[in-house]
Amino acid sequence: MSIESFLQTLVYGVFVGGIYGIAAMGLALVFGVLKMLNIAHGELVMLGGYASFWAFSTLGMDPFASLVIVIPALFIVGLALDRTVYRHIVRLLGEEKIKNSLLVSFGLTLVLQNLAQWLFTADERAIQVAYAGEGLNLMGVTMPYTRLGSLLIALLVTLGLNYFLHHTYPGKAILATAEDFEAAELAGINIHRVYMMTFALGAALASIAGTFVTVTYGLSPSIGIIWTLKALIVIVLAGTGSILGAFPAGILLGIVEAVSGAFIGATYREVIGLVIFLLVLILRPQGLFVGKN
Amino acid sequence: MGKFLGINHLNASYGDLQALWGVSLKINEGEIVALIGPNGAGKTTLLRTIAGLHKPTSGTVQLGDTALHALPAYRIVEQGVILVPEGRKLFGSLSVLDNLELGAYTQRARGVRFKTLQHVFELFPLLAERQKQRANTMSGGQQQMLAIGRALMGLPRLLMLDEPSLGLAPMLVQNIFEIIKLMNERGVTIFLVEQNARQALELAHRAYILEQGKVVGTGTGRELLHNNEVRQAYLGFAPTTG
Amino acid sequence: MQEITLTQRTKNSFHRWLVPAWIIILILLAVFIPQQVDKQNVWNLFFLICLHISLAQSWNILAGFAGQNSLGHAAFFGIGAWVTRTLWFHGTPFVLAFISGGLAAVVFAMLIGAPTFRLRGAYFAIGTLGVAEVLRITASQNFPLISTMSGSMIATYNLSARYYLALGLAMATTGAAYILLRSPWSLGILAVREDEEAAQATGVHVLRHKLLALSLSSFFAGLAGGVFAFQQISYYPSAPFSPLWTFDSLLITFIGGLGTLAGPLIGAIFFVVVREQLAVNLVEFHQVIFGILFILIVLVFPGGLVEAWERISKSFKRK
Repeated sequence: MSIESFLQTLVYGVFVGGIYGIAAMGLALVFGVLKMLNIAHGELVMLGGYASFWAFSTLGMDPFASLVIVIPALFIVGLALDRTVYRHIVRLLGEEKIKNSLLVSFGLTLVLQNLAQWLFTADERAIQVAYAGEGLNLMGVTMPYTRLGSLLIALLVTLGLNYFLHHTYPGKAILATAEDFEAAELAGINIHRVYMMTFALGAALASIAGTFVTVTYGLSPSIGIIWTLKALIVIVLAGTGSILGAFPAGILLGIVEAVSGAFIGATYREVIGLVIFLLVLILRPQGLFVGKN
Repeated sequence: MGKFLGINHLNASYGDLQALWGVSLKINEGEIVALIGPNGAGKTTLLRTIAGLHKPTSGTVQLGDTALHALPAYRIVEQGVILVPEGRKLFGSLSVLDNLELGAYTQRARGVRFKTLQHVFELFPLLAERQKQRANTMSGGQQQMLAIGRALMGLPRLLMLDEPSLGLAPMLVQNIFEIIKLMNERGVTIFLVEQNARQALELAHRAYILEQGKVVGTGTGRELLHNNEVRQAYLGFAPTTG
Repeated sequence: MQEITLTQRTKNSFHRWLVPAWIIILILLAVFIPQQVDKQNVWNLFFLICLHISLAQSWNILAGFAGQNSLGHAAFFGIGAWVTRTLWFHGTPFVLAFISGGLAAVVFAMLIGAPTFRLRGAYFAIGTLGVAEVLRITASQNFPLISTMSGSMIATYNLSARYYLALGLAMATTGAAYILLRSPWSLGILAVREDEEAAQATGVHVLRHKLLALSLSSFFAGLAGGVFAFQQISYYPSAPFSPLWTFDSLLITFIGGLGTLAGPLIGAIFFVVVREQLAVNLVEFHQVIFGILFILIVLVFPGGLVEAWERISKSFKRK
């Protein structure tokens, strides 16, 4: 394999990894703060993708520009889901909470997936922007504008999230609630509001990933579980306490998948991620990025 | 001076295990009231229930006219009832400054938090020095100061402390009790749960004794200090013959 | 939490015979109705019900009785189907292929059992899901072509035989669950479900009990896969590995009542019948409705239909 094609593979791995990272951060937020596992997270990615597709096909908006609509839309969906479903579970404790959140979110996947199928049919959709084929060419490596744009925005969002969580009052309240929700209550923080906002934020992040997915790959109602699994793999790699660590972990997964796919063959590329996931779960459950946050 | 905090026939349980049995007590504005009693008596449960972390099965907690027992915890903090919990429960991964700032999260305290911060730094110069330090890298005594400082940031009218002296060196304990006295002189009502019964009773205007979830005695600090049974049970005196 | 009453409450000899009478009536109905009506869609309906009973009950053994909420159940279903189909198509007598399918599933379960049982709660759930997905992707990549019965197989296809096999399996799975609950291991298994650490502290060998539940669960799920492979004229080898089979088992068990013997039975009947009805009228919506129903059950009625029935019958007895 030539240096050039290796670099190309690497770069594509990074591009994909950026999407993985954004998708995973949303789930990591929800898991870290609400201490619940939302199996329907992939469905939120899918819905975000459909929102941007709708904006593109009906309003003619460029997908990156449509984020202005997609993000608030999914934010509201997240608020609604928390209000109707998840707030009943967030009051439970420990094992029961996790078990119930798994079950409820599983029910939600049925609902959301089939709602999407009813609204958009099972056909695969994709966004073909005018500049789809164009891109930069550095040292023999092609970097399509669509993928470059996704990665750039993903990076910006991550930096923004970092700033928000660590340097703003509401962001610190979220981190505080994640660390010790009773202490947060005693400080006068309305933790149920925090839960609701955090869940909505997770949905918004998912929608960003969904937009990128629609531009990069294609969309159908059934991709939900694939993205939930990807997000889960990344979270386990990063360590379940780490919210921002999910982004570099996503990049890592993207690179590992791309490189191993090039050497072992595309058939096993999907499996590689899952196998690593299982190994990390069993052998090093605290994740690979312990200490980073 | 009307009733400030009134607790009436409060019952609380953990599942099937009842922890508080018809507890009634009152705290008047401006007082320091101590709550002493053996381990497992329910003192922490009582404070947590007042603070809204735990829902009582029956009974009332009133702050003046406001019923606290029906409110969520953050509302109770808004009313000015603030708990410094047992074990401190700081936000370990956040800085000292962040911890203090978060203490002022309520609307009432938020606007003036920078001024309050200066007051807290005057009281605890050590916290000013270590503003940027991560909370979980500090010693026990420093963490206790931070916990109290965080509570003060919320502008408490009633400050509740659960075992503030636990695990601390005597000089630090002295320091903390002095600060509690100082806060009281500045107008903060204090409800203090303490293992260190002597110091608590010396400091307090009045006190209650809680045993097995029931109030078994009350009196002024001085009365209880000189009460034989209290001396034997909680102050380490040998039983007197005759 | 469902309580398993290990002793029968007998008020009088009438009550003692009530439950077995119901069972006998149900079995008779199951045996004779399809035969009498003899319409293909009825055979298929009853077949589906029995298949889902087996799959759900086998999941119930692991999740309802032993408390291990696995999301990888489809792995056993898929292995059983694949082994049975492959062996049978290559000339092995069906009965042998069938049993081998079940055994293959157990072997696989025992291999991954010990490491995965080290995971707790959410990690166990997503770990088992991951394992099942690995199998599904591997199967779809390595066996992408549709598997179709040969001409002679189609010519000699006997739908009623398929059905009675499924019925027999449904009865066997439920019977196995029943025997398990009456066995010396039942207390240990239920203890593991309630509180693993407490069970360990009282001397219960936790891993052994989990593996026991797992082996029964995987065996019957594998056999169910064999039944599926026997019945389907053509299908994609990766299809039985789809997580939808796991999810259906979850749905059925929860709707019926997790941790009860009758739960998977009632749930499967409800699920299959309602789904067939809805599929006719509201094609896209039936999954939405099931999803909402599932959420409601988890939030409001965790005991499912069995619990609902018990509450209703109790309120009647009071009158």
